[in-house]
Amino acid sequence: MPPPATSNLGYTPPDGGWGWVIVFSAFISIGFSYAFPKSLTVFFKEIQEYFSVSYSEIAWVSSVMLATMYAAGPISSVLVNRYGSRPVVMVGGLLVGLGMVSASFGTTIVHLYLCVGVIGGFGLAFNLQPSLTIIGTYFHAKRPLANGLAMTGSPVVLFTLAPLNQFLFDSFGWRGSFLILGGITLNCCVAGSLMRPVKKTVESTPKEEALEFNGPEEAAPEVSTESQSCVQRFIDISLFKHRGFLIYLVGNIILFFGFFAPVVFLAPYAKHQGIDEYSAAFLLSIFALSDMFVRPATGFAGNTKWVRPKIQYFFAFAVSYNGVCHLLCPLLPGYAGLVVYAVFFGLAFGMLSALLFETLMDLVGAKRFSTAVGLCTIIECGPVLLGPPISGALVDAFGDYKYMYYTCGVFMLVPGIFFFIMHYFNYKKLDEEKHKAAVEMRTAEDTVHLNIGQKDKSEDEVEK
Amino acid sequence: MVPGKRRAAVMSFSLAILGSLMLQYVSSQNEPSIAASEHVILPMDIHSPPFSLQCNLTSGYSSHVDSYWMKNGEEIPESRSQNKNTEHRLAKPRSDDAGVYMCVFTFETSPPANATIEIKSAPEITGHKRSENRNEGQRAVLHCKSVGYPHPVWSWRKLDNGIFRELDNTTGRFFINSRDNYTELLIDNLDINIDPGEYQCNATNTIGTHEQKSILRVRSHLAPLWPLLGVLLEIIILVVIIVVYEKRKKPEDLQDDDDAAGPLKTNSTNNHKDKNLRQRNTN
Repeated sequence: MPPPATSNLGYTPPDGGWGWVIVFSAFISIGFSYAFPKSLTVFFKEIQEYFSVSYSEIAWVSSVMLATMYAAGPISSVLVNRYGSRPVVMVGGLLVGLGMVSASFGTTIVHLYLCVGVIGGFGLAFNLQPSLTIIGTYFHAKRPLANGLAMTGSPVVLFTLAPLNQFLFDSFGWRGSFLILGGITLNCCVAGSLMRPVKKTVESTPKEEALEFNGPEEAAPEVSTESQSCVQRFIDISLFKHRGFLIYLVGNIILFFGFFAPVVFLAPYAKHQGIDEYSAAFLLSIFALSDMFVRPATGFAGNTKWVRPKIQYFFAFAVSYNGVCHLLCPLLPGYAGLVVYAVFFGLAFGMLSALLFETLMDLVGAKRFSTAVGLCTIIECGPVLLGPPISGALVDAFGDYKYMYYTCGVFMLVPGIFFFIMHYFNYKKLDEEKHKAAVEMRTAEDTVHLNIGQKDKSEDEVEK
Repeated sequence: MVPGKRRAAVMSFSLAILGSLMLQYVSSQNEPSIAASEHVILPMDIHSPPFSLQCNLTSGYSSHVDSYWMKNGEEIPESRSQNKNTEHRLAKPRSDDAGVYMCVFTFETSPPANATIEIKSAPEITGHKRSENRNEGQRAVLHCKSVGYPHPVWSWRKLDNGIFRELDNTTGRFFINSRDNYTELLIDNLDINIDPGEYQCNATNTIGTHEQKSILRVRSHLAPLWPLLGVLLEIIILVVIIVVYEKRKKPEDLQDDDDAAGPLKTNSTNNHKDKNLRQRNTN
């Protein structure tokens, strides 16, 4: 019988117990990482007037924060591999807090870029990667559900932070708000302190299973810290030879061009059609609510026995569904059409987000996930940053939003189809490899048991 | 004087007078006259029924080209027509329709003629800041915008013990700039003790008066410190609880580890005393 997937980790993950506390702390960390840069836009108008700068210069603060968060991914991975998740998340929380507090005393816009953008961005990066990694160490059987629940943090925290930021701004102005937000982000430290490293209850395996077959999820040998070269200790370049990782990376680079832009332009598109500001903002709330409820549901669905083995197809479906949504959006008339679009887009966005990291874990395995996600985020940094400005340029060039939606739809539909095709081949190859390995295992097991049988017989003879 | 010469002089004199009278008559015949409708005063607070401003070009002058309307010195678009009787219709008269209207008739060979009709209304304040929040030491700006004609006289008051009082500018920090339909009140170097409160802008003209209030709040520099301390306290408490919980669990954990290690290792064939029981590792 082929070895179960759990033996890849070398221990049995709890799949529950303290794991749910970990999910909660990851919920907080991931929530802050994704929602915090978006929620700061409430302050931009006042800061823009205060420093007398243009809107694009102030929007850079959010962009720098997001860019640094993605670019610092590999550094975060290295630290997590070395020290574990807990210290990294706590340091991350401290960095964000420090960045916000020092920003509240800032005197020029460059101070804000450095304090909020760079320092805050590093802090958020140190929150995101470790949270995702530690879920992989605590869960295996229920991992899609845990991932889905943890990723729900993003819309929930955004939903909470947006009105809170508005209230803070009205009561204290932007400097006072940054000071208080610096305190609030220290909650990430609290979340981090909960991230106890998993107790590795080692299942004792007979020596024959030390054949080092690590299952279909890892095509290359384990990374052991002693025997590799210095560079490979820190950045696992061998990942670039991993078939699944390459498929994931190529697809993601394309899809991220069209991922965030529709969210950014939902309200302006509504206003362009003549809808008033409050109804346009309400569309975003509908989108966020839809997103919030579908993420755990997707996690749950991904966990079922029908979906789990072929979860890559589920992800491909989610990506294609996003694309179809955007392609159909310009055809829906009026406010009612936009509400329908917001609901369905929320579903699509949530599905994709819930599965985004689960599929990567499924492809590369929990051990190499930390490094893989670091490499992914730094490479995705480009499309994430370039997506909204390119869409904005499209809108300005044609004066109409529909071409932007068509483009985003294409940017998401093509990777979806790409994933379907490539994963079909990948699953076939993985099945072949598994089958081959199972045959090898069985012959090896039989040989060793034969040997043990002989040894026991000889011991019996000795005893007698 | 010869009687015949006297008669000729009287005749030429009366001819001259007659001639000039006739000239005046003829020229006044050439001057266009316009019959225009009366000045209108829009009622306050209730909707006025629709009405029209009318101008009729009397005195049948033939070289008339066209006619158009102007409001407050600017031509109203799409009001040009060739009629001698021209009318400007107001379907839903509102305060911002008030102003100085002029119907203008242009001619080929003479300068244009016009008549003025005024639509007056009480002022209505359409734009003001409901509340303004500033830090102490900063400058606050409260403003009010109105529609109506004639342009109102503006005044600012502050609510003090239940009644609105004139602003006390002994500290010299208050500046009022008013023009036509707009006024603003600037307060320099906000003082957290005396400046916060309700301010009222008042617009008054010959027809009526209107006022609106704005609330000014001054934040102290130290205001955000209290919530910050509260948040820090909450975080410290949580971290202490978690650390204490971890420390208490640690000694128990070590015991658990020893206990847990035992049963798990029973799968290994090495520990069995009973050598007959050979177990295959069936995972």
